[in-house]
Amino acid sequence: MLSVLGLTRDYDGTTVLDDVSFDVRPGRMTGFVGANGAGKTTTMRIIVGVLAATRGSVTWGGEPISVEQRRRIGYLPEERGLYPKMKVHEQLVYFARLHGRATAEAAARAHELLDRLGLAERAGDLLETLSLGNQQRVQVAAALMHEPEALVMDEPFSGLDPIAVDAMVSLLRDEVTPHMPVLFSSHQLELVEGLCDDLVILSHGRLVAAGSVADLRGREADRFRVVLAGDADASTLRDVPEVVLLDARGPEATVELRDGPPEEVLRALQSVAPVAEFARVVRPLAQIYREAVQ
Amino acid sequence: MSTPVWRIVAEREVSTRLRDKTFVGATIFTMLFLVGFFVVISVVDGGAEEYDVAITQPADTRILDVAQASLRSTGSEDAEITAADAVDADAAEALVRDGDVDAALLPTGGGYEIVGDEGIGASLRAALASAVASQALTANAAEQDVDLDALNADTQVGQRLLDPNAEESSARSGVAFAFALVFFITALGFGMTIAQSVAREKESRVVEILAAAVPIRALLWGKIIGNTALALGQVLLFVTIGLVGLAVTGRGELLAGISWAVAWYVAFFVLGFVALAALWSVAGALASRQEDLQSTTLPGQLILIVPYFVSTLASDKVQAVVSVLPIVSTMVMPGRMAQGEVPWWQVAIAVLVTVAAAVAFVRVGSRLYERTLLRTGGRIKYGEAFRLSD
Repeated sequence: MLSVLGLTRDYDGTTVLDDVSFDVRPGRMTGFVGANGAGKTTTMRIIVGVLAATRGSVTWGGEPISVEQRRRIGYLPEERGLYPKMKVHEQLVYFARLHGRATAEAAARAHELLDRLGLAERAGDLLETLSLGNQQRVQVAAALMHEPEALVMDEPFSGLDPIAVDAMVSLLRDEVTPHMPVLFSSHQLELVEGLCDDLVILSHGRLVAAGSVADLRGREADRFRVVLAGDADASTLRDVPEVVLLDARGPEATVELRDGPPEEVLRALQSVAPVAEFARVVRPLAQIYREAVQ
Repeated sequence: MSTPVWRIVAEREVSTRLRDKTFVGATIFTMLFLVGFFVVISVVDGGAEEYDVAITQPADTRILDVAQASLRSTGSEDAEITAADAVDADAAEALVRDGDVDAALLPTGGGYEIVGDEGIGASLRAALASAVASQALTANAAEQDVDLDALNADTQVGQRLLDPNAEESSARSGVAFAFALVFFITALGFGMTIAQSVAREKESRVVEILAAAVPIRALLWGKIIGNTALALGQVLLFVTIGLVGLAVTGRGELLAGISWAVAWYVAFFVLGFVALAALWSVAGALASRQEDLQSTTLPGQLILIVPYFVSTLASDKVQAVVSVLPIVSTMVMPGRMAQGEVPWWQVAIAVLVTVAAAVAFVRVGSRLYERTLLRTGGRIKYGEAFRLSD
């Protein structure tokens, strides 16, 4: 497990990261969200060792992380950067070698990754001749080259079209092993929603929420959407004692369960009018985020 | 055990440079220039004097021998006159006309005539004329029963040069000048390359993943070692051409005299280069974009330009004093050794001071490099870099 403990960073007297602690659990995708300037990039740079923390520590399996362990992290920086005038394949091999991989092994791995990213035929081209989207894929490949034991990715999906995002997501799912902690930041909440298991929310350098998405969602009473069959008026549900009617419009209504399991509530509703649809309302992440940040 | 990081970085520096057409082109151009220089020298110099002279009577070889001896006694130690036998005057003239011989020595009624095609070399003409005259004089003296020695008494004119080694000493100061010039050009050229390569990594942001993957110090060492190896290789190439050139153009004596200076030059070159390489890397790390390099590389340029002018313009005494200073030593000390004896203790001081400076430069350089490499968004001033904390 990768953890940060009491991470604090000051820049010229202003605190940009204030006593932030959270865990990135192995085998799970941890989404890292927050507004611009919330401290996401600073946190990630401290984790990979590019920036020093003013206070606090980064631990790996409970022990302070070592230089060698840091070298085994795969890092995708916010500001993308590779050698523009170096050939794609050669470049990937170079980065893998810097991470301690043997040349032959790295060469095979580079071919495999380029193949999966649909860039096999561009292996011998200079990076700068690739489109920005393809350069982005190479950048991701560079982060995965040394078969990292943890992944730290800053905005991995920014600048990608929806199809490229899908390809990236499936690549990440393939690469993430059950032992690998993955932390990725994004401001595209709907993407994070579909992908991550855990969530860490930062605001103005402070941690405002951390935990599994399910837990964060479960922090409020259950809400259900009800659609009555035929042209029945949903406002009649006001008289059902098991629910509080929050909203009614024609045959549709949103209700909050007062008590009792959903199946009993459904029976109570059906005694008033035939029910065509009865479903839990899942709060969008955006709402959790907004509430947490406010 | 995987390859050490500095070696991977150094390999990349070297392979990138060797594939850079500008670099390869400039190196080849310089090599051709050096070869051309020696070709011009040997043409202008003409090498040893060698003549072919056609004769029609076998006995005339004696005249040629005397002429050759007189050429050798007046400065051209390697002069050689070779006889070419011709059946008669017409055949001899044909040889001259075809350019097979430089001249023909033909007997006439009252002596000899020297036949050339368009012109006859002055020293050859004088030597042949005096040889003919002295042979005729000897014969005439015997006929007239004159004591030739008595007749010749007190007519000898000798020659004595006050500065017989003038030519070699000017060649030696040429070597000293070449030492300074080659270091100046190489150090400046490679220095700018190092600074550019660092600034480019900052500009393209690739430095962020480099810094996450490896210790920054290892990056710096890789750059220093890779570029030093390249610069050293280039200088060895040029020095080899220079030495072969000297040997081929018949300057073996000069070559033997400066061989130690050349060996020291290579040693001083490496020390001076390493000391500067760290500084150039810092110049690159202080810049955020290529345009910033103009100002951040200024100190590096001054550190080279000032000693260069000192080495070419200063008096011997000033040179002796400054030749123990780092960087200056590379440009001046081997040159002094090429021009004359330098006390061993001066060389020892220069080596110690330069080694100490290289160590200090690399230390300070790597600290500044580590502090500034990851700071993007504007040029950093040297003073600022010293005040920065990690």
